[in-house]
Amino acid sequence: MDYFIYDGSFQGLLTAIYEAFYSKNQVGGILREDEYQPAFFANKIPVEADLQKSDQLYLAIKNKISPQSLRKIYYVFLSEKKETGLLIYHYLRLGFKIGRKIDSYLNHELVARLNQLSGKVSREAHLLKGLLRFRKIEGGVFYAPFEPDYNIITLMAAHFARRLADQDWLIHDKRRGLAAVYNREEWLLTDMVNLPDLRLTEEEKHYQRLWQSFYQHIAIEARKNPRLQVQNMPRRYWKYLIEK
Amino acid sequence: MDLLDKLSILADAAKYDVSCSSSGSSRKNTPGGIGNGARTGICHSWSDDGRCISLLKILFTNYCIYNCTYCINRAGNERPRAAFTPRELADLTINFYRRNYIEGLFLSSAVLRNPDYTMEQLLKTVRILRKEYKFNGYIHLKAIPGADLSLIFEAGKYADRMSVNIELPTRQSLKMLAPEKDFTAILTPMKNIGQAIRQNQEEKKKYRKAGPFVPAGQSTQLIVGASPETDYQVLKVSENLYGQFNMRRIYYSAYVPVNKDSILPALKSPPLLREHRLYQADWLLRFYKFRADELLSEEKPDFDLELDPKANWALRHLEYFPVEINKADYELLLRVPGIGVKSARRIVTARRNGSLSYYDLEKFGTVLKRARYFITCQGKYYGGIPIREDLVKSRLLSAGDRQQLSLFSQE
Repeated sequence: MDYFIYDGSFQGLLTAIYEAFYSKNQVGGILREDEYQPAFFANKIPVEADLQKSDQLYLAIKNKISPQSLRKIYYVFLSEKKETGLLIYHYLRLGFKIGRKIDSYLNHELVARLNQLSGKVSREAHLLKGLLRFRKIEGGVFYAPFEPDYNIITLMAAHFARRLADQDWLIHDKRRGLAAVYNREEWLLTDMVNLPDLRLTEEEKHYQRLWQSFYQHIAIEARKNPRLQVQNMPRRYWKYLIEK
Repeated sequence: MDLLDKLSILADAAKYDVSCSSSGSSRKNTPGGIGNGARTGICHSWSDDGRCISLLKILFTNYCIYNCTYCINRAGNERPRAAFTPRELADLTINFYRRNYIEGLFLSSAVLRNPDYTMEQLLKTVRILRKEYKFNGYIHLKAIPGADLSLIFEAGKYADRMSVNIELPTRQSLKMLAPEKDFTAILTPMKNIGQAIRQNQEEKKKYRKAGPFVPAGQSTQLIVGASPETDYQVLKVSENLYGQFNMRRIYYSAYVPVNKDSILPALKSPPLLREHRLYQADWLLRFYKFRADELLSEEKPDFDLELDPKANWALRHLEYFPVEINKADYELLLRVPGIGVKSARRIVTARRNGSLSYYDLEKFGTVLKRARYFITCQGKYYGGIPIREDLVKSRLLSAGDRQQLSLFSQE
C-alpha cells in the first residue's frame, strides 16, 4: 500500500493526489507529515509540491468535474480534519468517471461526507466575515485577530480585499500563527511571529466607545433572550468582539 | 451634545424597527471606493435580545411633529431628543464599516419640521456616502410618507432597499392610533417605489447600463398586537402587499408597550410567539406557494400557538399524505412538515440519479423527525403509527416544537 505524504499546502495535496492517480499499488493514504503513523507494509512516498502538476489537476477538476466541486474540495482541505486527503482522492476518482453529475449524487457516501465538511467550513467563514473586528493601531493599519476552528484565513482575506480595498489591514489567525497582510493592492499570507505595535489610537478608542454604546442601546429590554443570542453567536467567538 | 449622546439616543429610538436585513444586493466595489454588497447578507453581531445586527440602524432624528399613540418618539413624550448632521452620520457609517462592525446603514427618521425637509436630510446623508466617500456597502433608507416623490425617487438611486412602514394592518387602526397619519399617504410612495422598481427591471433588460434603483427591493413593517386585527386579516394584508406593491419583505413587530394610553392594550409582555407564527406563515406565502386562505379563514382566524402553520395545514389535509418522496413534485414536497426549501431541492436533485431510500434522505441532512409521519420512501412508511390527526399531532408536539417554543419564552 502506498502512502503519499505532502507538505500541508493545497498545492502539495493536489500534487500528492496527482501522483496517487499514477500509482500501481493500492493507495492507503494521502497524509500530512503530522498525520502519518508508520505501519507494516506501508510504502511511504514523500511528495514535494509541484506547481505544474497541481495546476494541471486544479484545471482538470474545474473543467472536467465542476467549479463547485473544486470549491468544496478546497474547503475540505481547509478543515484540516484527519483523512481528508483520502476522501478527496476517492471523490476525485469518482468525479473523473462521472463528470459534473457528481454534484447531484447527494446520497453517495463520498459526496455526502464532502458536502458536510465543506458546509461546516463555509458556515464558519460566513459567520466570521461578520464577526471579525478590525482595530486601527498606531501607524494606521487595521488589525483583526481571530481564532477560527478551521483554517479560513485565505477566504477572509479574499473577502476583505474586495471590501476594504482602500485601507491597510492585517488579519491574524492567532491559533495557527498566520497572517494575511494587505497593502491596498494585494494581500499575501505569511507566518506571524512578531506582533506589530498594538497600541490603539485615540480615534480608535473613540469609535470603540461609540460601537459599544450602539450595541447596548439597540437591544430591546422587553425581548431579552440570551439563549437565542448564544445560539446565533457561539461564545467561543466573543473573545475579540469589541462589544462583548 | 457630543456624538456619543446622540448615538445613544438615536439608536435607542430606532430599535423598534425590526428589519436589519442586508441581503439582496450584490453591489460591487468601485476603484478607490470602499465596500460591497453580499447577496446573502451578513450578520455582524447579535444583541442581547438575540436579534441580528447587520446594519447601523439609526434614526436621523427623534424630534417628531406627530403624536402616534404606539410610538416611543411621539411628540407628547418627554424624552431626550437629538439630531445628527448628514456629515456626522456619513462619517460614523464609514468608520464603523472600516472596522467591520456593520454591513451598511439603515437610516430612518422621525419627522422633523415637515416630510420634505426630513427626506432631504436623509438624501444628503446617502449622497455624501455614495458620491463623496464612494461607499458601496448596503444602504436601507426609509421613505418618509408625504415627502415629494422626486426626493424619494432620487433616494432610490442610492439605496439598496427602501421601505415605508405601513405601521398598522388597517385604515381604521391607523386612524385610531396614529390620527395624524394617513393610510393613503403611506400607500402612495409604496406604490410608486414598487412601480419604479418594476420599470427599472425592465430597463435593465434593454440597456445594460441602466443605473440601479432599489436593487434589494422594498420592505415594510407592521405592528402586531396593538390593534384588534386577527392573524387572518394581517396575513391577507401581507398577501396583497406582496402581490400589488412588488414588496420583497414584510416585517412583523410584536407590540411592545412603550407608552401608557387608555386606547392601547395593556400587555404584560410582547406577543412574541404570535409574531413568530406570522413570520412562519409569511415564509409559506413567499417560498412555499401557500395562499393565506389555505392557512386561515373567517371561522378560524388565528394561528394555533402550539403548532406551526404548515404542520397545522397538513393535519387538516391528511388526504394528501403520505407522499412518496420519489414521485411527489417539488410543490408537494414543500408542503411536507419538516421539509424546507433546501431539503426539497436536494431531494429533487438527488432522485434524478435513482430512487431514494429513507437512509439516503438522512445522509444529505434531511431532518425526518417531523417529516417521517407524512412521507413514504420507495413505498415504505416510517412513521410507525397510523396517519390519524390526533396521533400524529401528539407526536409532532413532543418532537421538539417545545424546545423551539422555549426560545420565545421570557427568561
